[in-house]
Amino acid sequence: MGLIKKVVTWARIKSPWILHFNTGACNACDIEIIAALTPRYDLERFGVQLKGTPRHADVLVCSGPVTRQIEDRLVRIYEQMPEPKFVVAVGTCSCTGGVFNGCYNVRGGISSVIPVSAFIPGCPASPKAIIDGVAKLLASLAEEPKKKG
Amino acid sequence: MLNSLFFILVFPGFLFVSFFGLVAEYVDRKIYARLQNRVGPPWFQTFADFIKLLGKEDIVPCEANARMFGLAPIFALSAVVTVFLYIPIWRYDAAFSFNGDIIMALYLLTIPTLAFFIGGWYSTSLFARLGSVRCVTQLFAYEVPLFMSILSAALLANSWSLRDIANFYSLRPAYCLFNLLGFAVSMVALLGKLEKAPFDIPEAETEIVAGAFTEYSGRLLALLRLAIDIEMVVGAALFVAVFFPFALALGAALGFIVFIIEVLAVVALLSLMRTVVARLRIDQMIDFCWKYLVPLALLQLLINLILKGVLV
Ligand code: SF4
Repeated sequence: MGLIKKVVTWARIKSPWILHFNTGACNACDIEIIAALTPRYDLERFGVQLKGTPRHADVLVCSGPVTRQIEDRLVRIYEQMPEPKFVVAVGTCSCTGGVFNGCYNVRGGISSVIPVSAFIPGCPASPKAIIDGVAKLLASLAEEPKKKG
Repeated sequence: MLNSLFFILVFPGFLFVSFFGLVAEYVDRKIYARLQNRVGPPWFQTFADFIKLLGKEDIVPCEANARMFGLAPIFALSAVVTVFLYIPIWRYDAAFSFNGDIIMALYLLTIPTLAFFIGGWYSTSLFARLGSVRCVTQLFAYEVPLFMSILSAALLANSWSLRDIANFYSLRPAYCLFNLLGFAVSMVALLGKLEKAPFDIPEAETEIVAGAFTEYSGRLLALLRLAIDIEMVVGAALFVAVFFPFALALGAALGFIVFIIEVLAVVALLSLMRTVVARLRIDQMIDFCWKYLVPLALLQLLINLILKGVLV
């Protein structure tokens, strides 16, 4: 049992498939996320693949503050993902609401609606920061079982 | 009895061909990445993907027909694994063989497409339905040239059994040159069967999310992906057995290694082809297949018929 668990955790770390979701960003963060997926940074080295459907994804990469209009849809997308799933908030807006915090149409950061595993601040967060954040999230997965056991 | 079980489950059946399929997917992705000036995935990537998917939650949408949704990947997988048992990879012998197995192999290779259609259709998601209809539409375009070009090679060899065809060509290697046109046609048709660019219309992720696979997750998705990988290997192995069966004359060990290298070379050629082209629209794809591929396949048939009269 222990060995199987270890192998599955290893596989999980080596193959994070991501789904990119714009929850109301000004689009700059999205451009940086796309830039991180281009051949220049080549995220497939780490097994990262961009998927089109939440059913295939392990990591939901969100950008921007949660607007009231997108709130239900964000929750729905999150619920459509199979367990185990993780959420990464990219950009200051998605961490806290950023400059849009307190607007009449804005709920706040991503974590005000769904649980978030990693916050990557920056306005916009640079591709290197995004890759670093995702790598740290994956590294923390490996440590978790050790802490428990 | 035990022998047959070993053939079916271990070598050259399920275990071996699954492993080979995952390796071939890695080769395909690595070459794809290198051609795009990227580093590409590490060697264990496809295994990690597979294990991860096995460890994930299985979701069956409540609208979907659970039985059909769950059975489709299993049908696809078992059909493609069965084909591999009939392909001669070891000396002149396949694990099983009978006169007419080439027809059966071609028909079994059609089953994954139908399984994808059924799985996509019964998941009742709009994207999945669009994707599965495109799957079947595409089937009518590439299947005819594929059958014609492979069967015309069989015609020249005067046999419907894969083993005898492989035998015939490995004894007369020069005859393989006559089938080059047929090989080219069937390579293009195989791209359509595997749903790779330029014929990745059924799963065009920029338009219809992931096509027929949109609602699949976890274990079922792992089986579907494995079925596609194995389909790629089996298609390539079928081509090697029909068009270039040189490895068989080299004895058991060396012949087997050369056979594997030949199959991987066909896979590499497939990934080269999919790198240099962009996706077509479904009507362009059908036009292309019926206007250019089918006449070329007919030409191959004609050449082989004439050759048969002159040479054999
Ligand atoms: S963090 Fe900056 S760049 Fe990103 S969505 Fe907010 S305002 Fe735009």
